Amino acid sequence: MNIHNYEKLWLIAAMLLIIGFIVTITYGSVGLGIAMIDDSEETIDPNALEDHERFGDLGVHQTGDGEYDVNIRAYQFNFEPGSSALGVHDPIVVPENSEVTLYVTSPDVIHSFSVVGTNANTMVVPGEISVMTVEFNEAREYGILCNEYCGSGHHGMEGVIEVVPEDEFHLFSVAGVDAPESAQAGDEVEITATVDNDALDADSAAVSLEIGEETFENELEVDAESSASTTFTVDTGALDLEDAVDIDWTVTVEDGSEATLEDGSASGSIALETDDDENDDTTDDDNDESDGGDQ
Amino acid sequence: MSAYIDQFPEEAKVIRSAFYASFFALALGAAFGLIQTLHRTDFVRIIPAEMYYTVLTAHGVLMVVTFTIFFLVAIFTWAVTTSLDRGVEDIRFTWSWYGLMTLGTAFAAIAILAGFTDRTEISADVLFTFYAPLQAHPMFYVGLVLFVIGTWLAGADWFRSWWAWKQENPDKRIPLPTFMVLTTMIMWYLATLGVATSIIAFLLPWSLGLIDTVNPTLTRTLFWFWGHPVVYFWLMPAYMMWYIMLPKFSGGRLFSDPLARVVFVLFLLLSTPVGIHHQYLDPGIAEGFKFIAMTNTMFLLLPSLLTAFTVVASMEHGARQRGGEGYFGWLGALPWRDPVFTGMALAGLMFAAGGFSGMINAGMNINYLVHNSLWVPGHFHLTVGTAVALTFMAVSYYFIPQVTGRRLASKQIALVQVVMWFVGMTFMSNAMHRGGLLGMPRRTAEPEYAGFQFETAIGTVGELNAQIALGGVLLTLSTLLFIVNMSITALNDRDDDLPSNTIPEPLSGPNEAPLVLDNLKLWTAIAVVLVIFAYSLPLASIVERGGLFGPGGDAFPMFLELADSFGFALVGETLSAMVSSLLETLRTVV
Repeated sequence: MNIHNYEKLWLIAAMLLIIGFIVTITYGSVGLGIAMIDDSEETIDPNALEDHERFGDLGVHQTGDGEYDVNIRAYQFNFEPGSSALGVHDPIVVPENSEVTLYVTSPDVIHSFSVVGTNANTMVVPGEISVMTVEFNEAREYGILCNEYCGSGHHGMEGVIEVVPEDEFHLFSVAGVDAPESAQAGDEVEITATVDNDALDADSAAVSLEIGEETFENELEVDAESSASTTFTVDTGALDLEDAVDIDWTVTVEDGSEATLEDGSASGSIALETDDDENDDTTDDDNDESDGGDQ
Repeated sequence: MSAYIDQFPEEAKVIRSAFYASFFALALGAAFGLIQTLHRTDFVRIIPAEMYYTVLTAHGVLMVVTFTIFFLVAIFTWAVTTSLDRGVEDIRFTWSWYGLMTLGTAFAAIAILAGFTDRTEISADVLFTFYAPLQAHPMFYVGLVLFVIGTWLAGADWFRSWWAWKQENPDKRIPLPTFMVLTTMIMWYLATLGVATSIIAFLLPWSLGLIDTVNPTLTRTLFWFWGHPVVYFWLMPAYMMWYIMLPKFSGGRLFSDPLARVVFVLFLLLSTPVGIHHQYLDPGIAEGFKFIAMTNTMFLLLPSLLTAFTVVASMEHGARQRGGEGYFGWLGALPWRDPVFTGMALAGLMFAAGGFSGMINAGMNINYLVHNSLWVPGHFHLTVGTAVALTFMAVSYYFIPQVTGRRLASKQIALVQVVMWFVGMTFMSNAMHRGGLLGMPRRTAEPEYAGFQFETAIGTVGELNAQIALGGVLLTLSTLLFIVNMSITALNDRDDDLPSNTIPEPLSGPNEAPLVLDNLKLWTAIAVVLVIFAYSLPLASIVERGGLFGPGGDAFPMFLELADSFGFALVGETLSAMVSSLLETLRTVV
């Protein structure tokens, strides 16, 4: 076959270009360590995510020094955690200078989990778990979006990753609050808050109690992966109660995020009794309807 | 010497009908495109957001299935009959595949368009890719099946012509246009096995309620088994036009017949074993398989790069025949006032740009940055949306008079039309590429988010949106000019001075091509082997992981045992583990 000289040159140049591309990509893969999303995880029953060891426990978990796992459910049309802008779920909160491994799966259709403006981007396929390890070296916010059409509400599927300074990052949550159900006006009441620390280091928690119009704050040292309690003693006589029938209280622990929903708090109320009440038993009850927190 | 309609009046009727079907789809698709471009960029929103996806499905399917493939069957029928100089063997058979394709389109289109009304439960808001577990009405899948069977029969028609011709001309080389048709169709038969299996074995029974679940990774992989070669199915008629007609319109001849054959053989071999490059970011597929698909993909650049050379060389030859001189001066001697030439040349130019963005897409780890972002539609509006669509529109100005015998309504408007398409696409596509780099998603009705904003390095999001909308409007206007021009042409007076339907001989003719190039059986066998290499192991691995019917449902155990008994799964794991561990080892070494 007669091939013109120019065409031969072109052919050689084309082959060099192709080989150059393959070498470049291999360098990115090997030299820079950009691994592809792959089949390293077992499959998962999309109808039973809550029974799965990972996806039964969504959110951020510390796995080592500066290393975290985040378990995320991408479903029509939110990320849990992540979709915080409209108050549906908590944002994903991680500390700066951390190496974070994201585990994402879907209970329904194919989605994506894409961190806007970065190369952290993966398909999320029901039955499969997508794993991506990314480094966050700067305290800032990132948007997350779904870039695979997933149904009529696809364009609303978004979320946020908050990368916070290391000293503002905690893995605290309010595990429970012991508070009386009722009290005599003017009595002292004791409210005991139990705080979980899911981090692998001991940490000092700023626990605050909002009661009536007042706010009290206790510092609490909590060991790694354990719980500790702190008790607030409040003189109801000193509260400005006016004609209130109940005193509302909220216990909050600083967990580093400007969370909107499960902001690491538990709340309840104490019924106020007057002297002519027949039943003046004070029963303690574990007031624990919300065990939220940044888990 | 005479026009096509005088040579083959019966075939001209079928070809005409196929062109009209394709133009109808183009007009409808363009109308949906306009709604989308204005909705997405928030200039005009006349539909509720969720309806955007019905519009998008219709735009995608009508443009890349109906418009392109009806055009292809028209062109291929022309190419076979002209180059073999014989009519089809049985015109009733020809009409039957045309009828089947039309019926299939109607089924799919009704299912999609029913999504606009609440009066019926029927809908198919699944986009062109119909990824399960998103489900369409069975009518959508049935329509696709009928359409594909129609194309299979069309291929059979052309093969039949060739076999009949070969009986009478046992010692002749396959004429180049017919060679291009046959190799493309072999590629198509091979590729459509994927989508046909996906629909017939899984999606259709699933939509009918015969099976409860499907394996989303499996149907998705089978889709891309077909989904990448289909882009070459769109491109091959355009390539054929660049090879055999552009030299003619430039005033010259094709540079090399043998290399044209080599290019089409390479496409036959390499178009299919690459589909996994659309799944670089899929979980459940080993990195090794992705790397293999990427390597194949990179080599698929070769035939396109060779085409770039041949096309430019042929144009230069034409220009020099017309008196052009100098290193670049010859460019001025080209027939820029001819809309057929200008449209094709501009289409080729944009294909070069699209090729470069495609090289980015093909890079496995660079793909993280652009996957499913607006970059991707930016890319394929250059390739299928211009290289293919603009070439098709440009050559229509030649072909419609040929198959109708009518005078082209306006050459000036035609010239304005092709240039307007180029300008419109320049605006739209560059802004889409840039938007994609910011992380803007594709396939999204209202990409405005409550929790964050896209950060631009240069320009603003508003400016990108303005360019996309402006480009979209220009493209719609261009389509309108095309449709009006074609409609008036179809009703115009008879043109007695039509150029004769000839294809000029290449400078370097078929006799310089090694005989082995015409050995279609050999190339088919190699293509099959390459597909088996590229796909059997990933498919076995996907089925082994998730079962034939997905991790959420019951697998059909017989098939799994079958796969195991062949040792497929084992070999698959070993191979992918080898490639993966090689990469891993290299990583640790570095």
